[in-house]
Amino acid sequence: MRGRLKRAPEEAEVNLTPMLDVVFILLIFFIVTSTFIQEQALRLEPPPPPPPLDQIIEPLPAIVIYVDDEGLIRVNGRVADIGSVRANIERLRAERPESAVIIQAHPQARNGLIVNIRDQAQSADVNKVNIILADL
Amino acid sequence: MARRKRALHAEGGGSDDDVNLTPMLDVVFILLIFFIVTAQFIKEPGVPIARQDVDNKDYVKPLAILIGIDENSDIYIDKKVVEPNEFEFALKELRKDNPKGEIVVQADNSSEAETLVQIMETIRDVDGATSVNVSVDRD
Repeated sequence: MRGRLKRAPEEAEVNLTPMLDVVFILLIFFIVTSTFIQEQALRLEPPPPPPPLDQIIEPLPAIVIYVDDEGLIRVNGRVADIGSVRANIERLRAERPESAVIIQAHPQARNGLIVNIRDQAQSADVNKVNIILADL
Repeated sequence: MARRKRALHAEGGGSDDDVNLTPMLDVVFILLIFFIVTAQFIKEPGVPIARQDVDNKDYVKPLAILIGIDENSDIYIDKKVVEPNEFEFALKELRKDNPKGEIVVQADNSSEAETLVQIMETIRDVDGATSVNVSVDRD
């Protein structure tokens, strides 16, 4: 036994234990800090940036959905139920297919309702709905 | 091969203090690499949010920045309240750490539209984004 060890060179046996310690510490660090966050989201469009003053923009016909602070919805001035927003948008878009959709929100309107209306508009195949704040 | 022969000899010699750690090290390395690759350092807002359940939603990948708006319309980033006038600065700081990736706004159902629209305008100005992800209920 002793003779064998003497003949086998000493550097063939690398001590892996310290490296294993380091790797374990790294592993534990990454396990502890790892977070598996997943988010599902709906895309909302911010108000368009203010245009340059010297440029006159041809206003598109627009479907304005007004949301007030008590959750009342008006589509082009007519009071609508949240369930009928989609039908309203589809009807108005059928009349004028090029019209843009704008959500005009009272500053104290609830965001849940706005997200809901944006979702209804998406279901009505409207890909861009700008959300603006109503002037008081 | 030479090592295995030696190990056999060692067993024969009755010395069992030399355990072969190499397979375990392989496993540990694979775990380590998995956790390094999947690690994402996201600062969570840390406020409970009531989300809206909608029909049209997408997974947001890669996630980078989370902004919370609680039911009192306070803005939260990294478990701290951010004043509305400091929000642009805070967002720029976050973007320095995380230049790529999506921003998600977690807006509570009963928060006010004013806060959300201001945040969206700031994100548009800072990021040049044409749309902002608003977190909704997951399936």
